Amino acid sequence: MSALSRLRSWEGLLLVLLIVIVGLNVTKTPYYLGVGNLVNLFQLSIEKIIIALTMTLIIISGEIDLSVASVMCLATCVMARLFEAGVELPLALAAALASGALAGLINGACVAYLGLPSLAVTLAGLIGYRGVGRILVEDRAIGGYPAWFDALGQQPLVGPLTFSIVAFLVLFIVTAVVLNRSFVGRIVYSMGTNLEAARFSGVRVKWAKLLLFVFSGLNAAFAGLLYAARLGSVRGDMADGFELDIITMVLLGGVSIFGGSGNLAGVGLSILVILNLRNGMGLANITGNAQTSVIGALLILSVLVPNLARLIHNQWKGREA
Amino acid sequence: MRKILLTTAALALLALPSGGFAADAVATATPGKALKMVLLPKFSGNAVFDLAHNGALEAQKELKNPTDLQFLAPPASSPTGQIDIITNATTQGVNAIMISDNIGEQLAPAVKAAHDKGIKIVTWDSQIPSGANEDVFVAQVDFNETGKVMADMALKILPNGGKFAILSASPDASNQNAWIKALHELLKTDPKYSKLQEVDLVYGNDESEKSHNQALALVDKHPDLQLIMAPTTIGIVAAAKAMQDEKLCDKVKVSGLGLPSEMVAYTMNGCAPAFALWDFTNLGYLTYYAAYMLAAGDMKAEEGIKFKAGRMGEYTITKDPTRQHGLRILMGPFSVYDKSNVEAATK
Repeated sequence: MSALSRLRSWEGLLLVLLIVIVGLNVTKTPYYLGVGNLVNLFQLSIEKIIIALTMTLIIISGEIDLSVASVMCLATCVMARLFEAGVELPLALAAALASGALAGLINGACVAYLGLPSLAVTLAGLIGYRGVGRILVEDRAIGGYPAWFDALGQQPLVGPLTFSIVAFLVLFIVTAVVLNRSFVGRIVYSMGTNLEAARFSGVRVKWAKLLLFVFSGLNAAFAGLLYAARLGSVRGDMADGFELDIITMVLLGGVSIFGGSGNLAGVGLSILVILNLRNGMGLANITGNAQTSVIGALLILSVLVPNLARLIHNQWKGREA
Repeated sequence: MRKILLTTAALALLALPSGGFAADAVATATPGKALKMVLLPKFSGNAVFDLAHNGALEAQKELKNPTDLQFLAPPASSPTGQIDIITNATTQGVNAIMISDNIGEQLAPAVKAAHDKGIKIVTWDSQIPSGANEDVFVAQVDFNETGKVMADMALKILPNGGKFAILSASPDASNQNAWIKALHELLKTDPKYSKLQEVDLVYGNDESEKSHNQALALVDKHPDLQLIMAPTTIGIVAAAKAMQDEKLCDKVKVSGLGLPSEMVAYTMNGCAPAFALWDFTNLGYLTYYAAYMLAAGDMKAEEGIKFKAGRMGEYTITKDPTRQHGLRILMGPFSVYDKSNVEAATK
């Protein structure tokens, strides 16, 4: 790909956008370039960007998982309830991860083996898993975990980076390798492009789908536990509404909602765009609904611009012919 | 050597009375300092927080702080947005953050990071439950009194007793929880209120629609319910409107904490015969004074310190009797509104 066509691609556009936003942040606020701020920039959204990785795989494979935020809640509530009952924390954490994998297994089984649409299945999961979480902790906040657990989400581990950030970086590299350099990646793309063709070419489609959802649930539970470590306590409304922010990151990254196309580089850039935008606006004291509106507008543009460009391109071609 | 001893003794004598005076002395503000201050309400779009903002702006003008007050609120849909705002304010190195805590202890790590950096943390309206890393809490009213005011209003509306339910804000709103606890305590211990029977406690998360639905669900669930007590300005309006719209006002009355301007119609038509509140403008004003004086070094956050808060007069920092740890400045008092005075209060 030539430099020019690379720039005209979606990732090129995101890169330009990122440079503009970072440029604005650097010039408009003196606080942006501090190490502490750059760590906070990731830290304040770390759970969402960790889940965005598995969400990328799910959407490329032609499915969606709306239940991730509720699985975060479920897993943290399982952990909190067990811990409160006197179970050792490592055991409670393992049970929490298992509950996330189980939620993913239920989602995956319904989609892969019962043939139900993932939109409906995981919408039910969105309601149901949070419901179970709320039953577990009721209207309480359960805190008071050992210091080592809180430290996972709050204290630097490697240099200024927290455990959560290190985990994200590792998972990002693993996901990139899996998606671009392994047969698993080829299967994921082929399922999203043409499920029938994938099936005929010998891919065990059902099995693959089931595994994808299990990983999505497991990863959501992992992110949920990091969130609990960052906040220091667990409530039934943990991560309420996070699924939309996560899906926004993936779609803005150029992943097609219909599956089959998109890549992790785009999602990585989109994450940087959104995080820098949020951070810059926060430091410029633009908060709340104004911030949400700007990110909403960005998403609309991300859907509109490529389609408009295609339309204009086709019109142009039509005239030439 | 003797000279030194004498001097020391003389100094000690001098120091004694002046030290004694210091305890009684009333700290006053040094106006004109450029202090970066952030006022952080629970969320945006609630009228009472806008009133508090007005009060804080009035204090800023009086104290001639040339730096603009930042009024930063997360959207109601994202309560943990409070963490982002505190974290960014810490990065900016502001001098004081005034917080109405909406997420209980989940705020604690962000508040610790701010406090470690030397930022003064003043909570108002809703305190940090543990009191950790908080300099002082400006309490609107005595929390035990809130329980008593609610019980008295319930008894006034139901003189022969009856069943009532509580419609609160979010499960982790420290202020509402403390008030409800005080009410429970009173119902249990004071025989005067033995005729009042609490049948349910639900949460509307301070969202109008959810509170509206919760109020209707209460009526469905408890057919002999006579009163909904909502210690939240959003919940009480939603409940009153729900009862009015469903024509249930003859059967189920609404009471609690509300804003006169939002409640006047429901009080006049009998749906909400009585409700109470304190002055939120004054709360914002007093909070700003306390935060300014702490950040300016005009006073310390210590038990027994007295200070003058402009037009509102003198206040004392005391131990907070409602928490194990933490200091409190008590504003008070309550105003109870009914048909006789609610219209005047909206003018």
